[in-house]
Order: sequence, then structure tokens, then C-alpha cells
Amino acid sequence: MPNLTINGQSYFADAPPDTPLLWVIREDLRLTGTKYGCGVGLCGSCTVHIDGKAVRSCSIPVGAVEGSMITTIEGLNPANAHPVQQAWVEQQVPQCGYCQSGQIMQAVALLSKNPNPTEPQIVDGMTGNLCRCATYSRIVVAVKRAAEIMRQADVNEGVRHA
Amino acid sequence: MLRFTPSTVTRREFLVRSAATAAGTFMSIGLPVLGNVTAKADAMSGFTPSIWFTLTPDGKVTMHIVKAEMGQHVGTGLAQIIAEELEVKWDDVRLDAPLESVENFAIYGLAYTVNSGSVTTEFDRLSRAGAAGRIALIEAGAKILDAKEPDCSAANSRVIDSVSGRSISYGDVIQRVKIDRKFAYPEDFKSIKLKAPGTYTIIGKSIPALDIPSKTDGQAKYGIDVFLPNMVYGALVIPRTRYGSKVMKIDDSEARKIPGFVKAVKVDDSTGKCTGWVVALAEKFPAAVKAARALKVEVNPGPYAGLSSDDLFTEFSQTTKNPAAGANWVLEGDVDKALTGAEKILEMEYTTDMVCHATMEPLNATVQFVDGAWHVYSGTQSTSFARMTLTAYLSKVLGQKPEDIKIYVHEYLLGGGFGGKQDYDEILAAAYCAKEVGRPVKLIQTRESTFATSFPRTPSYHKLKAGLKNGELVAMDHDICCGWMGPRFSVGKKYGTDWLQLDSWDAKKEDIDQWSIGGSDHWYDVANRRVRAFDSDRTTWAVQASALRTVSNSYNMFVVESFMDEVAHALNRDPLEFRLALLNGKGSSRGIPNAGYEPGTPSDYYMDRLWISLPWPNDNTWPHYESTTVGGALRLANCLRVAAGKAGWGAKKLPPNTAMGIAVSSAEERQSPTWVAGIAEVTVDPNTGHYKINRLTIAMDPGTVINPLNAKAQIQGSALWGASQVMAERLTLKDGALAQSNFHDYTPIRLADVPPIDVELIDSGHHPSGVGEPASTVVAPAVANAIYNAVGVRVRHMPITAEAVLAGLKKKV
Repeated sequence: MPNLTINGQSYFADAPPDTPLLWVIREDLRLTGTKYGCGVGLCGSCTVHIDGKAVRSCSIPVGAVEGSMITTIEGLNPANAHPVQQAWVEQQVPQCGYCQSGQIMQAVALLSKNPNPTEPQIVDGMTGNLCRCATYSRIVVAVKRAAEIMRQADVNEGVRHA
Repeated sequence: MLRFTPSTVTRREFLVRSAATAAGTFMSIGLPVLGNVTAKADAMSGFTPSIWFTLTPDGKVTMHIVKAEMGQHVGTGLAQIIAEELEVKWDDVRLDAPLESVENFAIYGLAYTVNSGSVTTEFDRLSRAGAAGRIALIEAGAKILDAKEPDCSAANSRVIDSVSGRSISYGDVIQRVKIDRKFAYPEDFKSIKLKAPGTYTIIGKSIPALDIPSKTDGQAKYGIDVFLPNMVYGALVIPRTRYGSKVMKIDDSEARKIPGFVKAVKVDDSTGKCTGWVVALAEKFPAAVKAARALKVEVNPGPYAGLSSDDLFTEFSQTTKNPAAGANWVLEGDVDKALTGAEKILEMEYTTDMVCHATMEPLNATVQFVDGAWHVYSGTQSTSFARMTLTAYLSKVLGQKPEDIKIYVHEYLLGGGFGGKQDYDEILAAAYCAKEVGRPVKLIQTRESTFATSFPRTPSYHKLKAGLKNGELVAMDHDICCGWMGPRFSVGKKYGTDWLQLDSWDAKKEDIDQWSIGGSDHWYDVANRRVRAFDSDRTTWAVQASALRTVSNSYNMFVVESFMDEVAHALNRDPLEFRLALLNGKGSSRGIPNAGYEPGTPSDYYMDRLWISLPWPNDNTWPHYESTTVGGALRLANCLRVAAGKAGWGAKKLPPNTAMGIAVSSAEERQSPTWVAGIAEVTVDPNTGHYKINRLTIAMDPGTVINPLNAKAQIQGSALWGASQVMAERLTLKDGALAQSNFHDYTPIRLADVPPIDVELIDSGHHPSGVGEPASTVVAPAVANAIYNAVGVRVRHMPITAEAVLAGLKKKV
């Protein structure tokens, strides 16, 4: 029975070790913000963070992530106000919204690696995440905007510490 | 909570009233439904008020939204319409989605979301409902304020006396007095003066969509997110063929070894739904998937086994060789005579492949039977039809009378719709499994089974002829053969050309499925024109042809607009100038004044097409409102000029192998056009045939724009939907089954292929029409035309593959 750390909480997964992490998160722990889209790592709807990296939870067995820090969309920010979430609302990105948890998790991972991405770097970082409503144009704008909000927050932080 | 006493409502009144109940005081507005509804919906007799919104003493207004939320933010848009006339503070607005049942159907109306029609069909009545609420509140508020009613007005959820300057909130008004305002119907309702375009304060504002915040923090709930106590999961064994196979024997010996396996259920398919379906039930979904794979199912593959896409195209081409097999959908002038007299005849064949919706949320449904009632939990485009379909299914399967079957459908968000969530097979199968296992069942289709059981857009075949004379297009002849979806929905009597109300059109009253042929009835003024419609019934059933975003426009506009470009080139005319000359507002290019949506008249397509009556007066007394055809093709010509100017048609310097292509469209239906023009700038690699869309320019006139930021989102998304269709999407039938299974072999557009999109919204102040689909129909032909203009290769098949472009390039050399 694998022991998982998700959003800072510890869980015993009542599932065989070969069970895709996605189904434990969604159906057992009922953190349903993480979505099933394709089951084979082709669409990105199920993206979560494992030790800070964006990972397709449909394609990683629960037995392989014991001892890792797993973060889902629900655990991204205590006030649901991560700069990426702020930018997503501000730019009115989601349409049906089904893929957007995955898009947001992907964008957060991208920005944590590269806080000031160029447009080609955004495209490269986000093109693995499918959006059938094709909200793509706004995704690019929102990632840039999130980077801006994060930089602004850094500046404010600097001011407070000065 | 809402209680009405039918005896107090007369045929000629509608109500704004408040009442005190155990739940507190509230005010709601409703309209009596009259008795002459003779629809198939059995609960429609008598009259019951239909309810649009409810005001509670805390000042909050809950808008009851029966339209499916699938990414178009329809709730926000409809609420903006009510709020505009009700003069309610936007912060006070809430939304809810009424539970679907026989009783609520009579109160809230038909829950069905298709055809980009929500705003078009609801705008007028929601505006009047909001205004009636405001009038009643002002009358009551004036009394409380001891003011003269004409001195009072409303704003920001308050009634204000302009003389004393005193005001009272809406919430306080309904706490202080009982409102029981009757309006004579239809006189009072008709005479309500609505605000004029240009005076709006909420309509036309880019108000943030109310459903968006929950879509950024994981809290939004879709059908797939439902949990019920003691439920069991279901996974479908992929059927041998798309349609018509029969399960002979199930061997579950391997499946029984899987921990958590419950049982295999052969779904009753005696109604012709869910044919050949076997569902593996297990305590957990991964176990259900494993079990579905482990089940050995013996089938009789049925009448369509062995059938492939190529067979269908061959059949289409053969069928059209016999003109008598077709029926005239459009007939103006004398096409045969004009063709005989032409100097030159251009004759071409076009084909389009199947595509499917591939919504990001795979198909799913959760059903339980509890306390004598069936509860369905799902995100569907029609909770009403879901209920009716399940009623019919259970009636047959259980041998019960429809009126004895109690069903509630709980609507959830849809993770994409696009026409793909208006068949209810998951719901039927989940219900059947719930009956078999005696527990709630959550049936989740895997991506693979979602593809295998999808309801695709039909493949299509087109033969076109153009008669050219004196530098003009004098005749156009278009034969279309494809699978018609209408018969699958049991629709299809008489919806022929007379319905178009253009007096010169053929009145043979043929049985034509407009959902499969529409779009070919384009808006160009061509004196002699004919569209002949041919049906391939085998295709309809073999592939389960259905509606996909813009329905038949999505292939017919590709064909019409590609061919119009061919005609322009054959005449040595500029494709822009050529189109503008034919979009002159005359002949078949003129508006159709009688084509407004008047419930109870033949031009209300929901009524007429679906043979279903809606809970508002079906007595032709509803105020007539403006047809979206007003202005005719002159509005289309205007869009074309705007797009051409914005893109720099004929003016912009372009690199080698790069060109622009143009196209126009008037989706969704001839009676409900949204005017749109598109320009694609494309670069073709002459060595490989690969092409890239550099930029898209879309100009759209949807009449009054409710929410510009959201309209632009819809236009951007649908333009890319069109780009995806022309570049990348292809679904094929192989051996009776749909051949593609996941996003490796069915490849919708991704960010790396997304071009910049310029959107010009033309708010013309006319009655609003839909914005969620039409832009998708101009992109494919614009790309095809750009490829031709760039490298001289005409591809007459959709999708346009690099291989096809390369083959064309080689043929040229």
C-alpha cells in the first residue's frame, strides 16, 4: 500500500502499485481538479507536480512516487491565487476548462524553471498540453502576464525586506 | 420553493409576483404556458409558468440557466441580457442549473444547447422578462417611497425617486410588500419598450465570466467528477464495429482473476442504441479497464463489418450519377438551360473525410436508481433529451409505461461539447448496468472507447458545375451526397426548400435533412442555381453520423468557398472583387424578413425540426423579433471588406510561396446567419508540401455583441477549430470500425501550430446571432485558397495533407 505525500498531506493509497497515480488522486482521494484526458501522456490534462516537475499523472504508477512531493491544482496555492491562476482569470483563459488544471500546472513548472520565458519558449513548454477549445492564444498571453505578476511580487518582497 | 397556483393565472396574463414561503420571501417572473401544446412531451398539457429568474430578499438574483455550460460562458451572457433590463447590480447576479424532470421541463423549458442558438433565441424573451421584473419593482417601490411612479426609475438593484432622491433596494421592496403584478398577454408583453442598442450598460461589456474562477483552482465540477455512495465503476469493451454488431457470448474467466471485478454486463441493445456494448464493472476504474480488456466477447459483427471510408466515397459518387435519386434543396432559375448556354463549364469533384469531437472530457455518465426514481449525473448538451431518450429506452427494456418512469437529470459542466454530447449512449448503458448490479454505476469511457463510439461528422462527396459567360458566373450546380444525421434522430419529414421562404425556390417539399445539406444554400446572387441532396443511409448508420460544430457548414463551406475561388480564377477575376460583386443584397443574396424565430411558426427551427413544444405560448402571439438575416449579404460583404482591409489583401508585401486566401460564411443556418469573413495567410514549402498558417484575420457581424471579450474567445477558438480540421483531423472507417483511437493518430491543433489571429467584431446593433461556431467554417477554405494562390495547387479534399499538396506540385511540374 504505497504511502503518498500530496499537497503536504500523507495518504496510504489503497491501490496496487501499478495503478496510474491519476486514478488514485481523482477517484480515491477525490482531488478531481486533475483530469483524465487520454491515459497515455498525450494531452496533459492530468499534469501534476512531482518534486516541482510537471508530470503526466496518467502515465506514472503510484508505486513509483513514494517519498515524492506531489502537488495537484488544489494544492498549488492556499488562496488559489498563484500568479498563474491570477493571470488565467485576468486574461479569461478557460472556456470549457477541462484541460486548464493541466495547463496551469504545466505553466507553473515552466515559470519556476524559467521565470522570464520568450514566446518560443512558452510555445515549446506548453505545446504538449492539448486544448480542444483552442484557448491557446490566451494561454501564451497569460503565461507572460503571470511572469510579470511574479516579477512584481519579487520586487514587492524586496521592498519589504529592505 | 417556487409555488404557483395555476388557477390564478389566465391564458392572457403573465405574472410577476412575490410570495412568502418557508424558505423566505422571493419574487420570480414567469409566463403561463398555454394548453395547445400537442408535442410528444407528455407533461406539457395545462399551463405552468416558466421561470427565468428569482429575486430573494438579500437582493440576489438567481438566473435559471437551462443551457449547457461547455465553454461558451452561456450563463454569463444570458444573465447579462436579463440584468440589463432588470437594472440589477451585476454583483447580485447568481446562476443555477435547474434539475431536469418532467415537472421542471414544464417550468424551465427545453434544455437543449446547439446551433450557437442560445443568445439568438433567448435575447428577446429574456430582455422582456427582465423589463417586466423592473416595472413591477418600480411600481411597488414607488408606493413604499410614497412617490409618484413616473418619477421613479431603477438602477443598481434599487428603485429611486427622482423627486425626493430617496431610494429602496430591490431586496427591501420584496420584503416590505407583496408583489402580484399581472401583465396582459400578449399586449402588455409586446408593448414593453426595450432599451435601444447604444444605451446598454451591461450588454456589450466584457464582464468576466462567472464560471471561470472555478476552472482555475480545480473546483469546477464536470460529469466525470461525480461520486455516489456504494457506486461501482464501468468500462466499455470496445465494440467490434461502430454500429450493428451483436454480442453472442462473453467469457469472463480472465476478468474474474482481476481483484475488484464485479461482473460483465451485456447492455440491452434492443432499441438500436449501444449496439454490441459490453461493460465491465469493478470496484475501481483501473480494475474495470483491465477487466474490459480481459473479457473475451464473441460477436456477430453485423451488416457494416468490412465497410471502409473508401467504400462510402465510391457509393457517394455512384449515387450522384442518378439525378433522380437526389432532391432539390435549392432551385432558382433554369440551371440546365444556363449551363447549355454557357461559354465554359467548370466541373469539379470535392470530398471531405470524417472528423469527430474528441472533447477533452471523455464521454461518461453516472446513474443510480433510488426511491423509485432514476437519477442521472452527467454533462450533456440536453438534459431534456437525455431524460426523454432514457425514458424511451427504459420503457422498452423494463416493459414499463413511460409515465411510470421517473427520471431526474442533474446537469454538470461539460468538458467540451461541440455537438458531441447530444447522444446519450453512456447514460443508457450506465442505467442498464445500475439495474443489473443494483448499485449506482459510474461509466467512464476511456479515450479509446470514446473514439470508437463517437458520433462523427459524415464523410461527404460533392460534384459542382459552374457556367461561365461574359466574364460572369451564370449558373451553379452542386450535388452533395453524404450520410444524413436527421433520420438517426427520427427527424426529416418535409424540411424542404419551401421552408426557406424565398418565393422563387423550389417547392417540391422534398424530404431533405438540412443538417447535412445546409451551408450549400449560400448567399451569393447567382441567377441560376441548384443544390441536389443525395442521402447515403448506409453511411448514416455505419458511422452514426451526427452534428459537429457548425454541422454541415463545416464541409459545405469548404467546398462552396474553394469552388467560388476556382470560378474567380477561371474568370480571371480577383477573388475578393468577384465575391463582393455577388454579395449585393439582391436576389438570393437579400434578407429573408419572415425568417425570425417566432415560436409556433415554421421558422422556429427548434419547434419545427424537433417536433417538440416549448413551455411558452405556442399560439403565434409571441412578439416578432428581428430576423438575423436582416441586411442580407450586404452585411457579409461588409465583413469581407473589413477582413480584407485588416489583412492587407492585395496590398501587403509577402515572401515567396506565401499568399492569402479568402472565404466567407453565413453559418449556422440560412435562417440564422452570423456574417463572417476570414483571410488566411499561408506559406507552403514547395519541397515537402508542408504548409504553415502565418496569420488568420476574422471579421464577424453577429448583430448586437453581448460580451466582446468572450465573443473574441469564441471566435479565436472556433477559428483554430477550423484550422485544426483543415490541417490535421481525419477520422476513417476501417472494417466497420472507427480506425483512430487516441491523440497519436487523431491530432487536433496544438500551440506550436497556432497562428496569430486578428479578430474584428462588428457590433451592428441588429438582433444578436451566435458567435461560437461560424468562424470555424471560413478557415478551411481560406487556407485552401491561400495554398492555391501561393503555389498554384488546388486540393479538393479536406483535410489538406502535405502529401496532397506535394502531389499537386509534382503534377504541375
